[in-house]
Amino acid sequence: MQENYLAKWLNNELTEDELTEFKKSEEYATYQKIVDVTSGSEAPEFDMTKAWDNLQSRRAKETPKVITLSPFKAFLRVAAVIAVLLTGTYFYLNTLDETITTQLAENREITLPDNSEIVLNAESKLSYNEKNWDSKRAINLEGEAYFKVAKGKKFTVTTSLGTVTVLGTQFNVENRNGFFEVTCYEGLVSVNFNGEEFKLPAGNSAIAINGSLSKSKVEINGQPSWINKESSFKSIPLKYVLAELQRQYNLQVTLEGIDENQLFTGTFSNTNLDLALKSISTPLQINYKFEGNKVLFYEESAP
Amino acid sequence: MKANDHQDVCKESTYSALFNANSKTVFNYIYYKFGNEEKAHDAVQEAFVKLWENCAKVTPEKAKSYLYTVANNLYLNVIKAEKVRLKYADKSLKTTNESPEFLMEENEFKAKLDHALNNLPENQRSTFLLNRIDGKKYAEIAEMEGVSVKAIEKRMHLALKSLREKIDGI
Repeated sequence: MQENYLAKWLNNELTEDELTEFKKSEEYATYQKIVDVTSGSEAPEFDMTKAWDNLQSRRAKETPKVITLSPFKAFLRVAAVIAVLLTGTYFYLNTLDETITTQLAENREITLPDNSEIVLNAESKLSYNEKNWDSKRAINLEGEAYFKVAKGKKFTVTTSLGTVTVLGTQFNVENRNGFFEVTCYEGLVSVNFNGEEFKLPAGNSAIAINGSLSKSKVEINGQPSWINKESSFKSIPLKYVLAELQRQYNLQVTLEGIDENQLFTGTFSNTNLDLALKSISTPLQINYKFEGNKVLFYEESAP
Repeated sequence: MKANDHQDVCKESTYSALFNANSKTVFNYIYYKFGNEEKAHDAVQEAFVKLWENCAKVTPEKAKSYLYTVANNLYLNVIKAEKVRLKYADKSLKTTNESPEFLMEENEFKAKLDHALNNLPENQRSTFLLNRIDGKKYAEIAEMEGVSVKAIEKRMHLALKSLREKIDGI
């Protein structure tokens, strides 16, 4: 007899011989009876309609939870975006340059991380990276500033017109609308202007007006005049002189019948406006009118 | 999301067809195992609610075995089997000319069979009765239980063998 022959018998899978042999056995009668009786019996009644109705009322409360398949994924997406934004902002703020700006008629003293000192003249802007200062001493400048650079690595001042490189010295850099001036008071500075590099020893000044460069000697009294509340000029077109006057006193200057390109040599006070106006008008033999924060310069012969 | 492939069970027509085809069998399956009508009714509800909740994840092909697995797991190790009572076809109505001795013998046999059935292990009893009463093929039962056809044959064989031994008083 094969394995599980009783199961095979129920399934009519026994061979003819096996079936004959099985029928001859003593047990066959009982097996047959068990099968007959169980086949005619039933399980308890099951009311399918009622069960379906019950199920309907339960389903009404439970909607398919298709959306809940990936609630965590959605959360992760939001979290990832926030994380990226946070790290991005962190790095951006960290690498952001330190920026110092002065308004009209304002001077500011700045001490850099290596104790180099900068005095920023009126209406100027200076920026540098504080985090990288030790590896790269670099300053971006718009306007005018006086530098006392502590000895150390190369110190670079970049302006829109030219670059000044030093190791440790005192110098002044001015860079305003087409006007670029570097004055060295101590040591030696290297100036790069229009791709041309030259050395500027102490007591020398280089001025570039609208692209043409000229060098001149200056008195070595240690500091530019504006540090001492005065503005000094030597053969500088009047328009730059007046522009400086406007910056120092927050004024509006207008000219009437006066050549703004005539050269001016002299000094005006940065603290006494009356004196400053006289200092400019007297040597040029011009008159001025002062009203509110407006100054009008006009020819002496004019009414 | 793969919802499109699996949407079928979520479709009302597919779902109700699954109910019509399987609810009675789920009921019997649990009843044969545990002999408790109330629990069998609950199992039907539970299994089909679960199927509905997960209709997006269960393919129509897997739905059947899913139903029996849920129903079975519901009472796994939780309830003790009670007495299974079957309604035996009452032959006495058709065979009125049977002798009283024969009827007594018949009733005695049914009592012995009842007793023997209740002494079977749960899975042998449910397999045997699903085949004998519900007419389920071995392959169908194998699919429901998640075992091989051979394993079902073994259960059938052992069930029938021990039933006879109990009845013949060996």
